[in-house]
Amino acid sequence: MMSKTIIARPAVLLLFCVSALPALAGLTAAFWVGLDPAAMSRVVATPGIGLSIASSFWTGSVATVLALLLAHLAVALAVSGNWQRRLNALILPLLAMPHLAIGIGLALVLAPSGVLLRLLSPWATGFELPPDWLIVNDPAGLSLLAGLVLKETCFLVMALGAALGQVPAARLQTLSATMGYGPLKSWLATVAPALQQQIRLPLAAVFVFGISNVEMAIPLGPDLPPTFSVLLWRWFTDPDPAIHAQAYAGTLLLFVGGIAAILAANFIGGLARKLLRASAESGARRNTEWPVRRLIAAVLASGFILGLLSIVAIGLRAFSRQWRFPALLPDHSSSDIWTDVAALSASVATTTLALAAATALLGVALVLPAAERCKQSADARRQIGAWLFLPLLLPQMTFLFGVQVLLIRMRIDGTFIAVLWSHLIFALPYLWGLLAPARAAIDPRFDQVAATLGVSPAKRWLTVTAPLLARSTLLALALAVSVSVALYLPTLFAGAGRIATAASEAAAAAGSGNLRLAAAHAILLAVIPLCIFAIAYATGSLLFRHRRGVPR
Amino acid sequence: MRTPGWKLLVALLLLPLAPPAGAETDDWHAVVAEARGQTVYFNAWGGDLAINHYIEWATTRLHDDYAVELRHVRVSDIAESVSRIIAERSAGRDHGGSVDLMWINGENFAALKTAGLLYGPWARQLPNARYINWEGNPSTLIDGSLETQGYELPWGTAALTFFFDKARVARKPMNPADLLNWIEQHPGRFSYPQPPSFLGSAFLKQMLLALSPDKERLYAPAGADFAALSSPLWHWLDRAHKSMWRSGRLFPRSGPAQRDLLAVGELDWMLSFNPAEASRAIRQGELHNNIGALQLDAGALANSHFLAIPYNSTATAGARVVANFFASPEAQARKADERYWGDPSVLDLASLDAQERRYFDVLDTGPATLPPAEHYLAEPHASWTTLLEQAWLNRYVR
Amino acid sequence: MMALSIDKLSLCINGQVLFAPLSLCVEPGSITSIIGASGVGKSSLLDFLCGILPPEITAAGSARIGNEDIGNLPPQARGLGRLFQEPLLFPHLDVAGNLLFGLRRGNSRRERRERVAAALASVGLEGFEQRDPMTLSGGQQARVALLRVLLAEPRALLLDEPFHSLDDDNRRLVRDLVFAKAKQRDLPTLLVTHDQEDVAAACGAVIQLQAHV
Repeated sequence: MMSKTIIARPAVLLLFCVSALPALAGLTAAFWVGLDPAAMSRVVATPGIGLSIASSFWTGSVATVLALLLAHLAVALAVSGNWQRRLNALILPLLAMPHLAIGIGLALVLAPSGVLLRLLSPWATGFELPPDWLIVNDPAGLSLLAGLVLKETCFLVMALGAALGQVPAARLQTLSATMGYGPLKSWLATVAPALQQQIRLPLAAVFVFGISNVEMAIPLGPDLPPTFSVLLWRWFTDPDPAIHAQAYAGTLLLFVGGIAAILAANFIGGLARKLLRASAESGARRNTEWPVRRLIAAVLASGFILGLLSIVAIGLRAFSRQWRFPALLPDHSSSDIWTDVAALSASVATTTLALAAATALLGVALVLPAAERCKQSADARRQIGAWLFLPLLLPQMTFLFGVQVLLIRMRIDGTFIAVLWSHLIFALPYLWGLLAPARAAIDPRFDQVAATLGVSPAKRWLTVTAPLLARSTLLALALAVSVSVALYLPTLFAGAGRIATAASEAAAAAGSGNLRLAAAHAILLAVIPLCIFAIAYATGSLLFRHRRGVPR
Repeated sequence: MRTPGWKLLVALLLLPLAPPAGAETDDWHAVVAEARGQTVYFNAWGGDLAINHYIEWATTRLHDDYAVELRHVRVSDIAESVSRIIAERSAGRDHGGSVDLMWINGENFAALKTAGLLYGPWARQLPNARYINWEGNPSTLIDGSLETQGYELPWGTAALTFFFDKARVARKPMNPADLLNWIEQHPGRFSYPQPPSFLGSAFLKQMLLALSPDKERLYAPAGADFAALSSPLWHWLDRAHKSMWRSGRLFPRSGPAQRDLLAVGELDWMLSFNPAEASRAIRQGELHNNIGALQLDAGALANSHFLAIPYNSTATAGARVVANFFASPEAQARKADERYWGDPSVLDLASLDAQERRYFDVLDTGPATLPPAEHYLAEPHASWTTLLEQAWLNRYVR
Repeated sequence: MMALSIDKLSLCINGQVLFAPLSLCVEPGSITSIIGASGVGKSSLLDFLCGILPPEITAAGSARIGNEDIGNLPPQARGLGRLFQEPLLFPHLDVAGNLLFGLRRGNSRRERRERVAAALASVGLEGFEQRDPMTLSGGQQARVALLRVLLAEPRALLLDEPFHSLDDDNRRLVRDLVFAKAKQRDLPTLLVTHDQEDVAAACGAVIQLQAHV
């Protein structure tokens, strides 16, 4: 009852108007335009369509299962070994890196002419020419799978970390330790099932993204035929209007796939809990856990190294003109490479940064008042969070296409405002997830103390609440910037191709297979989030560095 | 400051910059005047650094000389913009469209022209249109199989050229049989851009033309005999794919992708419509310098590319000023210059006066550039393109 | 200074009355102790006086300072100083910042600094201005919290078991300090506690809060 009154507050309503409402309106519009039996039958008759859909589901589902498994193991390993903070710091660069950048980077690492084989050639492999191996863009989608697992593991580790606060982890662990369980096993048997319950929404979002993404499928996914979402993306950009109708109809199919993915994610989550519980009830214990721990650590470390290598590869490729196999470093690097890349990047860097900054500032400005309203009601926070999360549970193309139709009707497509709006839709759930709990965690008595000292509400907010929220706000700004920088489809659909960002340029270049150009843009995709997080952390620790009591 | 005297001063200052006088000088002056201050959204493929730089140069010149603000909207495929214009039409946006000028040809032009979504005719009214080699180069008047009728202005013209690593190709394979031979002797080292990409489809047409005993038949609409007439092509491809890069299960996604693969050493071949492409890439250090070029003995598939203005452009005057600038001897010479773009000019050099010719006389060509082709093959009738693309997808996407 | 008085106050949580209607009057310079079982509403009584009752608790009755009804004033205008169970020093400000936050507006920057320094000296915390509050001991934090309240020049003092979390020695010291300051300023003081020693030291009226039946 109480949360109903909270939802009626203007600050909260405004959030809905910016986020969930347009997403639902877009979905409706997509159905309105897309329901066309003739077009649908053409979709079904496309050569290789069965394989397309199958490879979307195959990569999406396997990636989700593997990422979930690895995320649980990583958190278990880290928490039971007391290096959870370090784990969070380790995954941050990969988490901040857009899918597109990691995808382009991995393509540059894994290809037969990529960094990995260059490291081993010719001294170990004897290859003077790159071998003719079908690794990247392979029909089975294995490289796409690798990319998705790499990114989604990081995302789920973060989600698990956020859920950790809701579970009395330390007590449960001590308890099972006294019963003779090793730290890893006791974590998996007692804490993990409770955490699993908390990350249902993120898990579903991972699955939906897995089957519907183009960001990773463009650089890494199969080509003949591509995944279903990439197929749709190609149809959307075809000159033939008949094929357009196919794309519209196809997005509805994608929506059905999204629903199936949510159900499947729920099933996988339930299964995971059942398995974890079964292992708890089996009573099995090991005296030494280290071989298992080593193995898990090795798998995680290799994934991590692969991620870092891909960032390095982007840099190498962007700043090289010629890079013949098997040279490990580019043969030719001159200063005019810098001007090449700078000329390319400068034009999109401004737009990218302006959009990201506007998204971050406006997003925080929208979230803070609503968080203020919900500081006392965990229920209201959860409900609002779920609504804001909705766009992450829909296949992006389906509702963005509908949003595009609406924007064209409103004649604001292709404007900065339209793109900004579409970016806000995706930034708000993350901002809410970070700022609402941070606001609620501030002891309400600080405000009461200030009130009894005779300070007005507005001044109390500025002098007491705001400073205590400063670090979270800085992180939230950085998070929103990195979300905005990474967004491709929203920019494409709302921007009418007029708004060029690093992501849209990198995707276009990767789509035409021009990896050098893609890398030149991906540099921005990689550098902006890394820098902004570094700045946020540095400023956050400089601020109040002599004040131990200020929340981190 | 808003005095007539001030305006007159500006007009006088601008006078020497105005294009040469012609019969329609007054009209053109009106267009130039109308264009001042307009922003022209120019949707053009943005996948090539050199081309982007060239357009940036034009942007500066247009700003300085005509006060026209050119905005290069970099698209990965101009088809995106075509679909935008169609979407705008269905949304009823007949004015204030998002595209003012576009780099276009072939089926994209056909899609817009047949749907009546182009502004015009305008191309032949431009002052600089008189330099264009309309008579000598039929591909300036017929795009695909459609007459351009002044709805688009030729911007460049070229012929399909094969580039190869000289260290790996000892004897130039000048016909399909020799090429197939080379491919089978060097497994995994040849490929072509994936159809239906622009260059991929061009490769299919080039090979079909080279393999067909009766080329004339390909210039009439395809019919029931498509399967029979195209079977030499499928036969050739079936065999070639077995020994091609990734066994024909993956293809470079575009021309630049193939150039990338040649540069890193995954392939020994690349295709381009631009006979100067390799030389330019070598000059810029993007490609090693041991590259050779060939055009098949059967003739090189010719191709012109154009500029067109959508029907709902907000800046038709600005767009025409931009197009006219792009057709000027200065801009065409810079475009042909391998240091910048290296795309052969559409102008009839004989029509230029001595001063204008100087722009072209100073050009020097690089090591991998072929002399102008001896015989060009015109594009087959457009219906062949569609059928070839469909048949290719049905055959090789499984 | 004027007296703090409460007239026929009863508090209701979700329709349930917490304690019997309460009336009392605290004269300037005197300390009235309120004792009672936990959950009977002692802290809520102070919340009511400060104007920060949570929305689920409703109140009937009135509160006055002198003749002024303070029931409808916003919290910041009531002029009541309250010490909570914990010191609740603002973690983002240093000790001086916390005190300057309490100090009423006016005077030059230097004069304000000097007043803060003098206040710190008066409780044996000379030179503590730049310290991070989190590095102070419990007794030191309690003293800073008291100074912060006093610098805001309250019309009455509300003490919500402020000595509860201190160890025995500190508790006596801080309690004596608080009571002495309250008397010195002639403030009407209301003490909520369940410590008999506190009650004895207060030397004032004692009200037993009874759960309503």
